[in-house]
Amino acid sequence: MAATVARTWEPNTIAQRAAAAATENLWVTAAYLIGSMIGVVAVLSLLGMVLIYVERKVAARFQCRLGPTRVGPFGLLQTLADTLKLVFKEDFVPEMADKFLHMLAPFLALLVPVVLLALLPYSPSMQVADLNIGILFVTAIGGFGVMGILIAGWASNNKWSMIGAMRAGAQIISYELSATLALLVVVLFSGTMSLSGIVQSQQDGWWIWRGHAAGFCAFMLYLIASTAELNRTPFDIPEGESELTAGFHTEYSGLRFAFFFLAEFINMFTVSALTATLFLGGWMPFHIGDWAALNSQMDLIPPIIWFGAKTSAVIFIIMWFRWTFPRLRVDQLMHLEWKILLPIGFANLLLASIIVLINAYPFPLELPQ
Amino acid sequence: MGMIQATQIVNEERPIAGKTVSVSVVQRLRPPTRFQVALLGMQGLLQGMWLTLTYFWSPVEVVTREYPENRDSLKITERFRGNLRFKFPNEVAHQTHSALLEQIAQETQTHPEVAENWIRDEDDTRWYHNCTGCSKCEEACPNASIRILTRHGEILDDREIDRFVWRLDSCMFCNACVLACPWDAIEMTGGFENAVFDRRLLVYSLNRLAAPRINLIQDEQDPAVRARMIDWRSRYGGPIPLGGTGLPNLPAIGAPKVQECPVSHAGSTAVAP
Repeated sequence: MAATVARTWEPNTIAQRAAAAATENLWVTAAYLIGSMIGVVAVLSLLGMVLIYVERKVAARFQCRLGPTRVGPFGLLQTLADTLKLVFKEDFVPEMADKFLHMLAPFLALLVPVVLLALLPYSPSMQVADLNIGILFVTAIGGFGVMGILIAGWASNNKWSMIGAMRAGAQIISYELSATLALLVVVLFSGTMSLSGIVQSQQDGWWIWRGHAAGFCAFMLYLIASTAELNRTPFDIPEGESELTAGFHTEYSGLRFAFFFLAEFINMFTVSALTATLFLGGWMPFHIGDWAALNSQMDLIPPIIWFGAKTSAVIFIIMWFRWTFPRLRVDQLMHLEWKILLPIGFANLLLASIIVLINAYPFPLELPQ
Repeated sequence: MGMIQATQIVNEERPIAGKTVSVSVVQRLRPPTRFQVALLGMQGLLQGMWLTLTYFWSPVEVVTREYPENRDSLKITERFRGNLRFKFPNEVAHQTHSALLEQIAQETQTHPEVAENWIRDEDDTRWYHNCTGCSKCEEACPNASIRILTRHGEILDDREIDRFVWRLDSCMFCNACVLACPWDAIEMTGGFENAVFDRRLLVYSLNRLAAPRINLIQDEQDPAVRARMIDWRSRYGGPIPLGGTGLPNLPAIGAPKVQECPVSHAGSTAVAP
């Protein structure tokens, strides 16, 4: 029962192209590497600008306001103006702070999303590197993100920063479990850990609907857990303004504060892109099994647009959460994770493994036998 | 009802000692199960998300107003508490100038432009007021922003208002003076554009006429006597604190040239005599 696919996708990552060029001309390899580095940095800064602008506009719309309208057409240059302001601000380090760690923390916080940006498959031909242990790497690196926050809180020598950092540590470590359990469901479904491979495994249908209830449940779990890992409302107790002034980045100013800010927004993008990649098919167009007519129509839209649309949708949902829900208390947060999400996650993993065992997908996989 | 009620109050009639008495019975309800609580919680979350989505999709009213551009179409609500002023007898509260012109034109069967000339001319009746100088507003003011100066009116041989000094710089727009006024003589308007370059400009007198109440003037039939009841008072000037008199290096406010932007020369150049 092989699904007839209108078009076959051959991922060709930049790393592969660089490796292929290495046998002929090392300069081409170097150009590929430098180009990808510049590309990641460009994507990083562009995303920061766009996301902050979009967040402000969306928030304003949710609250019947207008948002930025003054700087540039429709306030488009507002983020640029804010960045310029931050650049010219004093880089303040508290007197009794651990100066080295205080300066190191923002870079650690920004390191994680930068590494993740290089792994994401934006389209078949746009991906810096495709690791065969992609999911494992993503989880490990994502968990590393808490280091920046913890170090920032510790090195600031400020009780609010310290409490915020401790809360962030507890929260991220807790919710990492649920997020990983949700990721494991997709790994079970697709039988691979490579992100590109996961996208290709969804060419008969996205896992959110093809995995029955388990797929949808894993999607919801991952959405909630990743919102918590992002420290965004309703899980923003690490920087709860009413209690902790600004949490772990209370003592940061100027460009270092901007780094934390940027890291938060780029993290939001990477999490949304991962959600789209794992559950919504990434760059894969909307396919339904062997409906060749529909599939070929959907293939007309280029993959990069599919990826962008899905990621934007998930980003919008996360912003929607932020401007609707009230903040959770610390004990409620732990209650939600350990007593509700974690049992659901395990049950969901069990259900998913049963589905995989009896090959009960709407369009079953062709078993290699 | 989305709320989980722990108790329920039932009003009923009960026969007690041969009489029917209406009693309220408090019934303790079964506590909801965890599943019910979870369902209700999710229902609440979805309701909230639906509400914000409707705002996002079609905002009922965008509350932000892009202020300097929409100055002509700016709508000030009636309960807005802006600058204090004397209520003009021809005007109702929060009536704009154009609305006043319309009303006068309708009453006198003339064109609004004619009406404007009519009230713009040296017609002191425009500045008739209801104030008697009773100082109730001064007593009511929590910030001591109001100072009532009275004088002795020669014609009526009675006390009347001389200057109604209002300190905008210490006013907190609490409306207490308006509520305290027994004569309905003052009101809070929609004015809020108060930026000036000299804080002395924030202390001024509200009345243009040192005169008795409007009805006392209008009772007098002889126009010559009427005119003698009225004295012109300028906005700045007189024995007002910070009125600019006696301060070194600063020109007095009373001079019309300086009134444009009095402080711009005072800070930069050495000394303006």
